[in-house]
Parts: sequence; structure tokens; C-alpha cells
Amino acid sequence: MRTYTLLICVLFTPLAGPSHAAGPQDADALAYFEQHIRPVLIARCYSCHSERDDAREGGLLLDRRAGWVEGGERGPAIVAGDPDASLLIQAMKYADSDLQMPPDKPLSADVVRKFEHWVRIGAPDPRDGQAVPAGDDPSDPIAGRTHWAFQPLATGTLPEVTAPDWSRSSIDRYVLARLEATQLFPAPEADRTTLARRIYIQLTGLPPTAGQVEEFLSDDRADAYERLVDQLLASPQFGERWGRHWLDLARYSDSNGLDENFLFREAWRYRNWVLRAVNSDLPYDRFLLEQLAGDLLPYDSVAERDRQRIAAGFLVLGPKVLLGNDPQKQRMEVADEQLDTMGRAVLGQTLGCARCHDHKFDPIPTADYYALAGIFTSTEVMEGRYMLGQQRVMERLVGLGADGEQADDAYESYWRDRPQLQERQNRAKAALEHLQKDEEEAFQKLSNEHADATAESARDASLDKAIRLEAQQKLVDEVTARLDNPPAIPPRAMVPTDRAEPADEFIRLAGQFDRQGAQVPRGVLQVVGDQRPQISPGKSGRVELGRWLTDVEHGAGRLAARVLANRIWHHMIGRGLVRTVDNFGRTGEPPSHPELLDYLAVRLIESNWSVKSLIREIALSRTFTMSSRDDEAGRAVDPENALLWRAHRRRLAPEVLRDTMLQAAGELDLTPMDSSVWYLGDQATAVGDNKNRRRTDFPCRSVYLPVIRNDLPELFDVFDFANPHATTGSRPQTMVATQGLYLLNDDSVMAAAEATARRVLAEADEARVNRMFERILSASATPDERDQMLSFIAQMRQRLKEGNDAEAELHAWTMACQALFASSRFQILE
Amino acid sequence: MSQKNTSPTDKHSQPGLAGSLPRREFVWQMGLGFAGVALSSLLARDGFFARHAFADEVASLNPLAPKKPHFPARAKACIFLTMNGAPSQVDTFDYKPELEKYAGKQLPADKDYINSGGRKVGYLTPAWRKFRPGGESGLLVSDYFPNVRQHADKLCVLKSCHTDSHAHGSALVALNTGKTLIGRPSLGSWAVYGLGTENESLPGYVVMLDKRGGPISGQPNWASGFMPATYAGTLFRPVGDPILDLRGPRHMTQPAQREQLDLLARLNQRHLEQRPGGRELAARINSYELAYRMQAATPEAVDLTQETQQTLEMYGVGKTPTDEYGRNCLIARRLVERGVRFVQLYSGGGHLEETWDAHESIEKNHGRHAAEVDRPIAALLTDLEQRGLLDETLVVWGGEFGRMPFSEGKDAPGRNHNPYGFSMWFAGGGVRGGTTYGETDEFGFEATVDKVHLHDLHATMLYLMGLDHELLTYFHQGRDESLTDVGGRVIDRIVA
Repeated sequence: MRTYTLLICVLFTPLAGPSHAAGPQDADALAYFEQHIRPVLIARCYSCHSERDDAREGGLLLDRRAGWVEGGERGPAIVAGDPDASLLIQAMKYADSDLQMPPDKPLSADVVRKFEHWVRIGAPDPRDGQAVPAGDDPSDPIAGRTHWAFQPLATGTLPEVTAPDWSRSSIDRYVLARLEATQLFPAPEADRTTLARRIYIQLTGLPPTAGQVEEFLSDDRADAYERLVDQLLASPQFGERWGRHWLDLARYSDSNGLDENFLFREAWRYRNWVLRAVNSDLPYDRFLLEQLAGDLLPYDSVAERDRQRIAAGFLVLGPKVLLGNDPQKQRMEVADEQLDTMGRAVLGQTLGCARCHDHKFDPIPTADYYALAGIFTSTEVMEGRYMLGQQRVMERLVGLGADGEQADDAYESYWRDRPQLQERQNRAKAALEHLQKDEEEAFQKLSNEHADATAESARDASLDKAIRLEAQQKLVDEVTARLDNPPAIPPRAMVPTDRAEPADEFIRLAGQFDRQGAQVPRGVLQVVGDQRPQISPGKSGRVELGRWLTDVEHGAGRLAARVLANRIWHHMIGRGLVRTVDNFGRTGEPPSHPELLDYLAVRLIESNWSVKSLIREIALSRTFTMSSRDDEAGRAVDPENALLWRAHRRRLAPEVLRDTMLQAAGELDLTPMDSSVWYLGDQATAVGDNKNRRRTDFPCRSVYLPVIRNDLPELFDVFDFANPHATTGSRPQTMVATQGLYLLNDDSVMAAAEATARRVLAEADEARVNRMFERILSASATPDERDQMLSFIAQMRQRLKEGNDAEAELHAWTMACQALFASSRFQILE
Repeated sequence: MSQKNTSPTDKHSQPGLAGSLPRREFVWQMGLGFAGVALSSLLARDGFFARHAFADEVASLNPLAPKKPHFPARAKACIFLTMNGAPSQVDTFDYKPELEKYAGKQLPADKDYINSGGRKVGYLTPAWRKFRPGGESGLLVSDYFPNVRQHADKLCVLKSCHTDSHAHGSALVALNTGKTLIGRPSLGSWAVYGLGTENESLPGYVVMLDKRGGPISGQPNWASGFMPATYAGTLFRPVGDPILDLRGPRHMTQPAQREQLDLLARLNQRHLEQRPGGRELAARINSYELAYRMQAATPEAVDLTQETQQTLEMYGVGKTPTDEYGRNCLIARRLVERGVRFVQLYSGGGHLEETWDAHESIEKNHGRHAAEVDRPIAALLTDLEQRGLLDETLVVWGGEFGRMPFSEGKDAPGRNHNPYGFSMWFAGGGVRGGTTYGETDEFGFEATVDKVHLHDLHATMLYLMGLDHELLTYFHQGRDESLTDVGGRVIDRIVA
């Protein structure tokens, strides 16, 4: 309700019609205030004239309308409609030598003109009400600490339930207590076949084979399920499923996107680092630290150094405006993108909103934004390069391995020096021609002007012509060989670095890079606590920031733990306890089970930030293993299933769809893949002369397919893959006709269906239908289903034969396989 | 609260099969033939939807279900004729007699502007073709558009447009999304988000590019930005099937596929019966139904063999140089007729002179491109009017900016980019025809009276379609985003 009220206040104050008379409070006028006046007041005046800063110089407050109406010791500060009679304007104009404001530095003429205009139109000012209590400013970081997400983690006692037997873990007690309070009953346990499919897909992104299901069903040990969970958590496929969840947040991509879609040739190293880190259950605090500051951390070996550097590629992967951009502006925009990604992915905060003005809903003043921005603007992610003969600014690359730097230098210098080499080749050829034509004078002239154009023996006119020719030809050949054989691209990674002179950032008025306000020391969010990390001089502060994020005592650790626990819950259960997984602010939703969320966060921290441990605990809970069955009472009381009276049903992600179809077809190759974009040129999208396009025909798992911004594989596009331009914590789950078209007609689905049909046809007659069901649905067909399929196939075979289809048998089975791929049973996870 | 969108919703929106809308019924019978009806009746026979009280919920999973507008719409659909490359206003719809007088002189020094691309600055140059009055209104249109001029009484020319970029790529993105920076939903996406679509057998937002190529800033011009991809424009390809995956391999004949779909429907229904209340399952079934209809409806919609010879001739189909744009205009009419919400037709594609980017020569460039589109556009207006569709279809014409009133050097017959003042026009869709709005200065250089920013243009287009640009918001990253951001005003003076 609070959120609602705030929204109304901020968005509709002008329409609500404040009772005071002065000033045209129409939307345009107020927009003018918000755009041009408020940011300046906050940045340049509040420090001496606001309750926030406990400052009332000269008795004047400028943090509310009443402040300037009443004025200070010199009387009213503004006469609405009359700039010349307004003390504030006179002070800003530095007209009077003993009243000059702000005292440190005058405002620009442009800003003063805007203030004059504002006063002239009646000084519209929505900051209404009598002396606003300090706590009512939504961006106040101290008052904002009362928001649930910033509160200490609750470690209360487990709630009492009337049916304690139902619970297998503490998680279940929290869930059941809420259900009992609402007089709802939890669904019974899912049957074991359904459960096997669910846990396999949730943990590995692949359904079990029929054999694996059978193995699980026939395992009658009491801990059979627990063993299965552990086995899946330890499988390499786990990282391919759960690493992708992080890649969604990291807006992972193999290209820049936006309007200059340059290839990120080396991004895959970061992708694979994530998959490996998730597989090895790298503690989350370390996982974050390496991504924010891997290039600055100590190391024991070159391999460790390189791993950490690759991790820091997280900061480099963002989409950037590359053309026609002021370097200053670009620096701010890159920092903004990094800040926003980190803010939403790790803290569930929309920090970007505080770039132009204090956050309108959340306790994040603009000063905090620029305190953080200073850390990122002190970091360099771009550099000038000679890329395939072109000089341009691009993502920073660092050579890998012991001699990585030299290899990279050699590669770079080849492209840098190539034009000179080309000239040298031309001259050497010209000299050769002079020799051939006996133009001795021209030859000597060229030789004198460019010593490197001629071979030593060729210069010696006393030698036999044949010898001279041979020597010169040899030189031409040498130069040509060098020119024609550029060094191979050495192993490199996208890695940030600290700038030579890290510096604090200035507030940019209204978010505009060329309108500097006050400078703010590099730092972190005040709402989290009073302690600020000490940033060592000469450093960007990324290491300190990285540690602060998961510092439970003095940093954002509690918040980060809540956000991560909720994400894990979201992926396991199908819906977050906080449904707005990327937004834990006031415009987000509060948690449906606050105590459970805190419990999970505490568990994370206690386990030393082990993601696998928390996944395991959730997987073993009865809550996770419930069936998805419907219940009228549940639907009536809680149609959204927020209280978890049953399991959520989920549509499969495009990666799972594709991998499973390939698996059924017997074509899936589980070998991890490195780059899947090596064949692409510098431009990642096929435009103009560039006909080269990203490929999707690799038999690898989908997580390794190219993610080209603006050119996602069709399957990804159609089935709601994460938008790689921005952090995506929760993918949409639409059910639209284009998905139907894809499944009914796309070549890749057809091909998988046909390959599956071929495998099935290789079996003995009577086993075929069962095999088909097992391959696609991990279960045998019931007699009914078998009859239905066989009659469809017989009918279809007949129809195709009549149509002179030489492969009627194969095609009939293909169509049956395809129908199973398209079936709800395959498409939707129970 | 997460998706706190204030898009209009319609609780009783059609679940997709009832077919009570007359237009839907029409499509049903005309377009789909036996197969489409067969599948739906299969479901209907089994009382598929009747048995499920959650039909509304099923529809709610479908983001394209029709929604009520904020207020009664003037236009149900919009056809946006996008002149990629930026046509010159002083040579087409903004007559500046003063240029005759100032010919050969330079633009006064106090006129400040960015010289886009640092090109040569030449001399003020009058229109390259004569302006003449058209219709009863006497609205002035140049001889580049003699056929459009015949519809002068339908046009409302906005002469005072201005935009935020002088570069083609970003200016076009701004024309389509409101901002020069890539990443926001396009106009068509907002329309479909706000209103849904009246014919789910076809995409709600269709884009047709010039065969010579796409616009330089590409797909972001019809992307859905931070909204789900469902709202993105669908490119109709110029050759072959208009969209991907409309057709399976050859052995998959229509009857064969229908049998397959019947099997699929039986499988899925059985699955659903075992899981009562599975609205996701029902939505999945529905999506195949729609896909199947789309397979038939889309080729049908672009099949011009159903048109009379007279109509084809009117649009200039089969004739050089009007064939391509004529076809596209005719397809646009057919799409709008079938309930498509937003159709965008690009004229000009690829680079430089292949678009309206007349640096070399206005006469050569505009002469060529206008000849390609003039007759088709006129035919579209005639056709829409004759079918009674013009009143409910907003037709918009224009480019990403305008051109300078001066040349690019002595005796150089081209003009450079001009974001400070240019013309666009509206027709139909509840707009007052035979009128102009706003003015540029005496040179046609910059908008001076009643300036129209892109946000105003967008606010007005949404308004005519029944949407309030301030209420049509999409919650993204903690903020209610809208097409017009904090700007935009509806130009109500041009509304009839």
C-alpha cells in the first residue's frame, strides 16, 4: 500500500490539485521544475538549506515550497512571477557582493536563466505540505533503512504447525504455517516419475532417459531421492543449467549489440568461467569479488591470474554506444550500465533511477549513485586497437598465458605496422621492376630514399644482374610472405583495469555528462549502513566494493543474500518469494513469506555462500516435491498459488527444448564448447557486404550457442530467451502462436523428429511406440496411447503413400515424433 | 505490482475461438477454409472452452488478446508510410515562395545549425518542382506528388516537425521509438501492447522493408525494446512466404498436417483432462490453434491474385517503377482490412541514393523515389476510402527528418540533412483533411510556429488510436515507461 501511495504522490500530485493558490501547477510547469530546478537545488543548495543536512543557513530552507515562501532572515526568497524581485535569483546572479549563492562557485548562466524562467512562470513547486518531516523524502537513505529489504535478517523460531509430519525441513514449516493459516492444504507428493523429470530438468536442463527413470524407480533405498539430487548436483550439466541463470543476469553476449554490433570474440571465456565456477560451487562472495575485481586480486600462478582476469570480464560485456560519442559521455554511460547491472543483479536495486535525480521511490540519493559511479569511471574497459587493419576503440583485451602480453603485442603490432609493410612491399616490387628494366638510376634513387626497399646484394651494381635480381626477388617474397601471413589471434580475454589516476566523480546535473555538480567521494549506498569501505588511494575501489557487496556485518551482505536466496527459490519453485526478482525496492513486491526468505538468506550465509547447499535443501523439501495438481479451494483463495498449495507448472526454456529434442534424436554432444563464433568477422550481424551469420547448427548444448545481440537464434527469440542487452532475472513465459509455428514447421524441429523416427524405426516392430515415448517423454506409452499412435501412423502412412511419398513410413513416424515434441506433456514441466 | 502496467485491459476479451467479432468471422470464412474450421470445431465439439471456466485466464496468458482503448478510437489501425532517408520538405509539402527571392544567397548567419557530415554549404535553392493547389482546400503539393495531390482534401500536413538527431540511424530510431538511443519499444509495439490485435491469425504489427535493404539502424526500429518480444514488429519478407516457419516440408500436405494436429489436440486434451485447471496447458493448445490459422491466413493476406485487375492497375502493380510499393500498399490495405493493428511500409533502403537521402540531386533522387510511391499512396487513399476504411485507418507519411533549404555547393543540386524543420502528413483516422498545422520560417529551415516534436507526433498518433500517451505505460526497472517519456502533447486542433 505504501508503494501505491508513493506512486500517487509522485506521479499525480499535479493532478490532485494542491490547495495553495500561487503558481500554475500544471504538468508541464512541474516537469520543468523536476528537470531543471530540483536537481540543482539538491546538488547545490541543500547542503546549507535543508532539513536533510540539518542546515538552515540564514534561516532559509530550500527543500520545500514553504521554505522559500517564508524565506529566511532577509525575507521571502522568491516572489513568484517576478525574478527581479526575488532574492534567490539576485543571489544566483552574484549581483550583490554580499549575497552570492552558491558561495563556492556561481551557477552557470544557463542554469540561472532556467531559474529565472521558473520564477517567471510562477515558481511551480510540488514539494508541498507544511515542513515535510525528513523521513518522507523517499530517497532519504537513513529513513530508508526501515524498508524490509534493508532490515536485519530475522532468525526467529520456526512457526508452529498442526501437521508437523508433513514437513521434511524447516522450509516446509514456513510454507505449511501459511497454508494452515489460510486453511489451504498442500498438494500431495508428486509421483516419482514426475519428480524424476522435474529434478533432472531443474538441476541439469535435461530430462532423464527412460533408463535413468527406471533406475530411480527401482531404487528402494530410503535415501534414493537424496542420492539422485546429489548425483545431479555433481554432474557437469548442473553448471550448464545454473550458470545460464547467472548469464541471464550478467547480460552475457557474444557481441556489443546496439548500433555497432561488433563481435566479442573472447566473451566465451567468461561464459565458461561462469559454468565452471557454478559447477565447483565457488562461494558466492568470491564469485562476485572475482567478477568485479578479478584483475586486481593476488594470485599464485599464471593460471589463477588468468582465471580471475577472465571473471572480471563481467564488467566489460555490456552494450555500448560506440559511434559519435564524446569519450567523457561514453565513460559515464559505460559506468551507468555497469552500475545498473550490478545493482539489479546483486542488490535488486534500480540504481540507474538515481542518475538524474534522487531516486523517487527508493532510498538512493543521487550522491550515492555518483559515489558508486566514481568506482566504475575509475575503471577502464575500453582501449584503442588496430583491429583487422582498422584503428578503433573497442573492449579491452589482455593476452593470456605466461607470454600472453608478448603474443598480444606481436599480434597488435602486425596490424599496426601493416600499412608500412604494404608500402615496403610496393617499393620492393618497384625496385625489382627497375632492375628488370635496367633502370639503374631510378633503382638507386629508390634505394637511397628507402633503404629497406632493396636487398643488400641487389644494391651492389658490381654484381651480376641475375644475382641482383635473385636477391631482390627474395626480398619481395619475404615481405609478401610476412604480409600474407598475419599472426594467429593469440588467446586473449576481455579484462578491465584501473585507470592510471582513479578519481572521485562529480554529480552530473539531470544526468547530463557535461553539467557537473558537486564532487562526491567514491563509496557505497548509505542506506545499507554507516560504515563506508576505505578505498586505497590510487585504486578504483572495485576490490572494496566487491567485498562490501557480501559483507554481512558492515556491507550489503544481508541484502545480497536475500536477493540470491530469492533467485534460487525462483528457479527451483518457479516463482520468487519476492516475485519481482530484480527489484527489492519499494516499487517491487514484498515477499510472500518474509520469514522463509530470511531463513534461506541466513542458510546461504551460514553455508559460506554455497549455492549448491541451498539448492540441495530446497530440492529435498516437501514443498519442492509437491504435485502440481489443481485444487478448487486453492484456486478460489489463492489463484496465483503465491502460498504454494501446489507446485507451479512451467513452460520449458528454449535451451531445454532444443537440448531435449537433440537428445531424443541421439545427436546431442555433451562435450563443453569453447567459442561458437570464431568464424564470424568483426561485425557480428550479417549486414551489407558481411554475409557471415552466426550459426546454430552445432550439436552442443544450447548454452554454448552464439548469443548475438539483435540476432538471437529464432528459437531463443520465439521462446522468451533473456534479452541480452540487460539483466534478466525472470524470463517471460508467453504462450503465443509463433511458438506453435516454430514447433509445427521449423526445420530444426523437423530434423530432430526425423532423426528420432529413424532411431525408433531401427527397433523391432512391437517396441517402436514405446521407444518413441521413452526417448521423448522418458516414459512408456500406455496401451491406449500406443493404439492411438499406431492408428495415426497407419493412417498417415497410407495417406503419404497415396501421395507417392517414397519414404512414407519414415515420414509418418516423423510426424508422430513431432506431435510428441509439440505435446503439452513434453513442453510443460509439471 | 511487478508488471504494473496501465495498459487497457478487457476482462471479457475473446479467448480466441468464439469468433463473435464480425471481422474475425469474416477472416474465418474467407481466409481459412475448411482446415481452420475443422480444428476449431474439433475443439468446440468437445466443448473444450465451455468446459473450462478459466477461459479468461487462458486469454490473460495471451498478451495479444484485444483490449479496450482508453477512449473511443478514431482509428483502429495505422499505416505508416516511412520515407527512409529523409525527403525534402521545401520540395514536397512546404511551399516557400521566398526561396525564389533568396535564390543564390546564403542562409542568414544567425541561423544556427549542425552541418551534418561536414558537407559543403551552398546557396538557398527554391523547390525543384512546381507547387500547385489540390482539391477544394487548395492545399499546396509539389509536382513530385501529382497523384497524392488529388487527395489534398484528405491530408493534414504537419509543417513544423522537428527531431533530435541529424544522423539517419538514430533519427529513424527516434521516429520509431521516441528516443535516439536504441532499446525502447517502437510505436507499433506500443499500439499492439495497448490495444492487442483483432486478428490473431496475423501478426499485430507488420513491417515491410524496401527490397533494396533495411534502414541503417536495422531491427531496433521495429523491436519491442524492454517489452516482451511478442510486441515486436514482424517483418514480412518481400519474396516467398512472408514469415518464417509458415510451411513444413513438402510431404507435410495440409490434410496431413491437419491429421497431425488432430492427434496433437487429442494428446493435449487428454493431458489437460488429467490435470484440471491447467490454464497453461489450455493456452498451449490455443497457441497451436492460432499457429495453424496463421499458416493459412498469412499467405492469404498477401495473395494479390484475389484482387481485380482494376485494383492492381490503380496501385501500379506490375508496372515500373510502382510495382513494389504498389504491392506493399495493397497488402497493407488487405492487412488492415483483416484486423492488423499497425503496418509500416518503408520506401528506400540500403544506402544513400537508394533511399531518400538526396545529397547528390533532389531532382534525380526525389524524382526517382516519388515516382515509385506517389501512385501507390494515392491508390491506397482511394481504396481505403472506397471501402469505408479510411475513417478508421490513420495513414501517416514522412521521413526521419527533412532537408536544408540550401544546396551543397555552387550549382550542386542536392540538399543536406535538416532536423530543425520538416513536414509529415496524416490522412484518414479522424484527422481534419485539407489542412496544415504549424509553420517553418520563410526559408523552410526551422519550425517556428506550433512546433511538433516527435513526442507530440507520437502522442497524437496514439490519441487517434484511442490511447492516452500518459496512461499507456509499461513498468520497467522501477519506472513507468511511456512512448513519449515526460514530453508529448496531443495536437487536438487537427482532430476532426
